[in-house]
Amino acid sequence: MIRSCAACVVLLAIASAAAAQDRATRSTPAARLDAPRGAPLSGAVLDARTEEVGGLLRCPVCQGLSVADSPSTMARNMKAEVREKLAAGYDQEQILAHFERSYGEFVRLEPRMRGVNLVVWLDPLAALVGGGAVVTWLLRRPRSQPGPARAGELAAGSSMLPTRGTLPEEARLAAAVRRVRELAYGWPGGVPPDAPAGSP
Amino acid sequence: MMPAPASSASPARSPRVNAKVVVVGLVVVLPLLAVLLLILGRDPHSIRSPLIGRPAPPFSLAPVGGGGPISLDSLRGRPVVMNFWATWCVPCFEEHAALAAAARTFREVQFLGIVYEDDESRTQAFLAQRPSSYPSLMDAEGRTAIAYGVFGVPETYFIDGEGRIVDKYVGPLDRGTIAALLGKVKGGGR
Repeated sequence: MIRSCAACVVLLAIASAAAAQDRATRSTPAARLDAPRGAPLSGAVLDARTEEVGGLLRCPVCQGLSVADSPSTMARNMKAEVREKLAAGYDQEQILAHFERSYGEFVRLEPRMRGVNLVVWLDPLAALVGGGAVVTWLLRRPRSQPGPARAGELAAGSSMLPTRGTLPEEARLAAAVRRVRELAYGWPGGVPPDAPAGSP
Repeated sequence: MMPAPASSASPARSPRVNAKVVVVGLVVVLPLLAVLLLILGRDPHSIRSPLIGRPAPPFSLAPVGGGGPISLDSLRGRPVVMNFWATWCVPCFEEHAALAAAARTFREVQFLGIVYEDDESRTQAFLAQRPSSYPSLMDAEGRTAIAYGVFGVPETYFIDGEGRIVDKYVGPLDRGTIAALLGKVKGGGR
């Protein structure tokens, strides 16, 4: 319990520190589209890369669709720009940064692994590890056995169910239970063989 | 009657509320509630433009109906109001009169319409019926809209005389809002 609380506190601390760093990063001007960093693409490679990079860009006028998947005019225009930039030799990161300058990080379908975004990336992992730990703990903890104290509690408590060592208080029911035990288990008189001497 | 073993011991009743469950539940639920409270008041469609406070992306576009291209650089020194609009957009129709009137009132400000995903002939027909007091430019491939981070129309950008985006307004403008935003442009732009 203490460990899980501590883990949560650490996660929150990382998230807040990362958010501060994110704010600091955002306050600096985004890098301009400099000289192309990659090789100019053409033909089938250009087509494939256009789809790939378009798949990483969010269509601004759609609901959760990528530029590659959306049939909207805006997405088509953006895709054409992606294609043009790939053909000119701009690499994927340069192109994503170019659109990010206009639309903000919203335009990236996969948020960058930095700042508060780390929560989005790490939360599923944390949930998986946490869930696994809970399942492991549940499977490995000792099963609760109805020991003598529990049996006594049952007998004295609200439960009317008799245990191996007890009988209902009502004589008619007690006789019936003895009879059933005799028939079911073959205990003479319905008394368990390990019962202390003198038991009814 | 058989003796009930340990029946003399007072039965320890298990508590109805498990403290561990409560703590873990709070640890999970409270941050989610905090995030919800922080975000619920915000309009999910209003995303602050990263361009505000930054130099306006340059453009050079041909006006509707012909003529030489108009570039942002050629307007340097004057505040500019750039209104992205389309004839198919009902809110654009609603704000059209307010923008035309503001352009006549604030003569020191250059108003520009940028036609968004629309046809030039249809735009010409629209403007013939509802004359405008400022030029509208054709953004045929949508490059200017993309460069300005336009999500839809109408969206209006307020640019100061130094070519810096001071504010962005999403939705139909009225005269009061235009005057208030122009006050910001003229107050902080020079």
